[in-house]
Amino acid sequence: MTATMDFRTAVREALDEELAADDRVVFFGEDVAIAGGVFAVTPGLYEKYGPERVFDTPISELALAGAAFGAAVSGLRPVVEIMFGDFLTLVMDTIVNQATKYWFLSGEQVPVPCVFRSVVGAGGRFGAIHSQMPVSWFMGVPGLKIAAPATPADAKGLLRSAIRDDNPVLFFEHKRLYGVTGEVDGELVPLGAARVAREGRDVTVVSAMNGVHESLKAAEALSADGIEAEVIDLRTLRPLDVPTVVASVVKTNRVVVVEEGPLTGGWAGEVIARVTEDCLGDLDDAWRIATPESPVPYSPPLEDAFLPGADRIASEIRRRLR
Amino acid sequence: MTHASELSVAGETELFLGLYRTMVLIRGFEELIQSLFLRGEVYGTTHLYSGQEAVAVGVASALDERDRVCATYRGHGHAIALGVDPQALLDELLGRATGVNGGRAGSMNINSPKDRLVGCFGIVGGTIAAATGVALALKRVGGVAVCQFGDGAINQGYFYECLNFCAVLRLPVVFLCENNGYGEYTRSQDVTAGAISARAEAMEVPAETVDGMSVVAVRDAAARAVEHARDGAGPYFLEAITYRYVGHSRSDPGAYRPAGELDRWKERDPIPRLRSDLVHAGVAPADLDAIHAEIDGLLQRLERKGLEAPFPEPRPTREFSG
Amino acid sequence: MSAGVLRMPRLSDSMSEATIVAWLKRPGESFHRGEPLVEIETDKATVVYEAETDGELAEILVAEGVCAALGEPIARLGGGNGDAPAAAVEARPPQAAPASRARATPVARRTAAQLGVALHGLTGTGPGGRIRQLDVLRAGETAPPPEASDPKGPTTIVPLTTTAETIARRMAQSRAEIPSFEVVVQADLTTLLELRRGSGELVETVPSVNDFVVKAVALALREHPAFNASFVGGRIEQHGRINVGVAVATDDALLVPAVMDADSKPLSAIAAETRDLAARARARRLTPEELTASTFTVSNLGMLGVLSFTAVINAPQVAILAVGAAMRAPVETAAGEVAFRDLVALTLTSDHRAIYGADAARFLGRVRELLEHPLALLL
Repeated sequence: MTATMDFRTAVREALDEELAADDRVVFFGEDVAIAGGVFAVTPGLYEKYGPERVFDTPISELALAGAAFGAAVSGLRPVVEIMFGDFLTLVMDTIVNQATKYWFLSGEQVPVPCVFRSVVGAGGRFGAIHSQMPVSWFMGVPGLKIAAPATPADAKGLLRSAIRDDNPVLFFEHKRLYGVTGEVDGELVPLGAARVAREGRDVTVVSAMNGVHESLKAAEALSADGIEAEVIDLRTLRPLDVPTVVASVVKTNRVVVVEEGPLTGGWAGEVIARVTEDCLGDLDDAWRIATPESPVPYSPPLEDAFLPGADRIASEIRRRLR
Repeated sequence: MTHASELSVAGETELFLGLYRTMVLIRGFEELIQSLFLRGEVYGTTHLYSGQEAVAVGVASALDERDRVCATYRGHGHAIALGVDPQALLDELLGRATGVNGGRAGSMNINSPKDRLVGCFGIVGGTIAAATGVALALKRVGGVAVCQFGDGAINQGYFYECLNFCAVLRLPVVFLCENNGYGEYTRSQDVTAGAISARAEAMEVPAETVDGMSVVAVRDAAARAVEHARDGAGPYFLEAITYRYVGHSRSDPGAYRPAGELDRWKERDPIPRLRSDLVHAGVAPADLDAIHAEIDGLLQRLERKGLEAPFPEPRPTREFSG
Repeated sequence: MSAGVLRMPRLSDSMSEATIVAWLKRPGESFHRGEPLVEIETDKATVVYEAETDGELAEILVAEGVCAALGEPIARLGGGNGDAPAAAVEARPPQAAPASRARATPVARRTAAQLGVALHGLTGTGPGGRIRQLDVLRAGETAPPPEASDPKGPTTIVPLTTTAETIARRMAQSRAEIPSFEVVVQADLTTLLELRRGSGELVETVPSVNDFVVKAVALALREHPAFNASFVGGRIEQHGRINVGVAVATDDALLVPAVMDADSKPLSAIAAETRDLAARARARRLTPEELTASTFTVSNLGMLGVLSFTAVINAPQVAILAVGAAMRAPVETAAGEVAFRDLVALTLTSDHRAIYGADAARFLGRVRELLEHPLALLL
């Protein structure tokens, strides 16, 4: 049963369906219940499921996160919202030192099924500490999964999978995607599986979240110049679906990874490292497009120049392939 | 005071004989660990519970099978009081494959979900975070989560956020503060503004201060705390005044303690105190001596078997569940 | 370029700033006047700026991808600013030639090998001047006419395999470097062929004509050691063993496995071996030793009806024998009558640096003698 809906509705539907399917699922966070979320993603859930299942919390990320961990090892399946990904710094301790270590420390006896939904990304003029992309802070945490949907279909399918997953999952919702519409068939989307968003022969463009849309726009522009780009939507950043990327690079011999995040230490480096390890002999070119080593600026021309938009992606690819 | 505790003991002699045995076991176990550490058989560092036995034992005696305990890295006493097999506990400290967590966790991270010990948490305050979530789940089944922490944790962010969080959501948590006067190497009063229990009172959480060297008093207070929480009235703050007979950790000889302090506290040793109450209640001293002899024998067997136990084979671990 | 500093040059009359696209030299590298130094993107186009004098790139001040204003320092330079170019050059070992390994991407290398394009000397247009696939493809293509007006029809590119590419190179080298000459005789194989026909019931593997030739050549080489030799580094190296190489054609290659010590092996052994070597050659299961041990090569196109041909010397050997097909022809007998005999053309190509005409004639004559009186070959 396919329907057209926007990204935020897809997220809400996923939560709704999983709350309905399993009464161990609970959802809490700041302003998520009565107010329906600061990005209007979760209205109606509190009314439908009541305060035992959906509730608001004080502004206490430490307690929020701790509650998610403790509940997850005691039989519940909590979904929490961390309002802005920039606040994940406060949640670091619980994610790094508690949630992602318990499966190992319990001798693989007790899984930790919890989902941390968080709103990320720049382009909304929210400034330096409400616009970050915290993915790279978490890439080096064993035991953690990181989901990064680009489309409404994947938002719904991946969130449902994340809630059903028995491991801690960071679920990133790019704030610029909430209004994007698309076809949603309601199917579960597995974590750890990338998708070829556009086929091409000349260069593989790898991206996630908003970067996928910018890459697709760039691909259209490049097509007019006779360059056919293959665009891969990673959908999950940890673990990476390396085989899908490698298969593409073997075909095109060129890979560019477009990451909204600083170049140094970003997940794009991880993709390049894995591609190099797996198909070095098939490489003719490999590089990254990322944001500069600087915080996100506020003023529109500054922020726009800061971000890897379609124009910059297309012009860099044109320059490299000429 | 003595009269009241005598009465309590007289009314439940069998029970208190059991508690006596457990305290003697904990005391002997910690001495064994100290000895093994000096011989290089226990690795890294460990935090001994000697002197504080009455708290763990008294609290555990007030719990039922629905309840859970989150402990700190000074958690051996709680583990034993909850019923974790002392051989498995010793083997874990010795790093053997037969340890509670197969040698993966070590002293600071021990967990035994089947014994109601959610875990020992190495981050100061981590136990409070975990208990918050555990309580969220236990609320559904009428269970209570106990988080044990020291006077040092009072000054951690987790404490304030979680106390408020639990109070607002009426979560069934017993905040058990084992105030032994020192946060690591520093006197608690030098780094803590105001009274400890006042913090709970400020949030309108019932707070009680109890003599942590009397297992009778602790049990009594714990029963009150647990009942309050279980009834849905929200968290209860219990401050147990106690003392640790050895340094903060095995690496600390405790030279920062003023002269005579240790001796004064040893006069209030919980084990002789309970012994006195039991004798007054009609238990034959010879029976109590027999308990000591039995524990001595047990500890010798534990030591021998533990040192013979095999080390774990390094093998790949499963990063994710499912 | 002012002393020590390279400033953003005015590469278009309307530019006020430009972006460094790629530095074509690295810090520490020297350059000569006219050499490409840096690629700069102006408001109009991307321009390769060439050095105006000799010098050395000391330090890059503006990195790739960064914009700089007109006149802004973009690099520090060192060494001969036109004053003492000799000094700059002598101060360091020759750097103008690229390092011994060309900076090329893995795919560029693979493509270069496939097309037989040499990487050295190619100008790379990738970042930092590295050679990428496009550069190799451009170097490899001969100007292709547009398909519509090509009288030869549409072009199908058949790239050489690595083996074929190697053979091609060695063939060209052999022909280019070796001053060769040919000597031709006709051998009367009538007796040999009769013997051969008769042997069918006696042995499992009937020796082919070529097997007889191999044996004859091996025995002749015993008496003419000058032909069992290689010409290497200006010297003749005569070999102690007589390993006759037999040219075998496979799908995409010409391989020459050796029959070791052919002079001391009976004909039946040689027959069995040549069959085995040919089969393994086609299956590409020859050992490296088998492929490099031959001291003299025999090549035979007789089975394909060729009258005669000239083979290319299998360098560094000094000679090669080409065998044609046995043809029935009328000859004058000793009695003055006409009889039909089976004649075969044997063409010996020799390296004139090591072999002279008379020797070639004598050696080839001995081979003919042995083939015309084959009893010696059977003993």
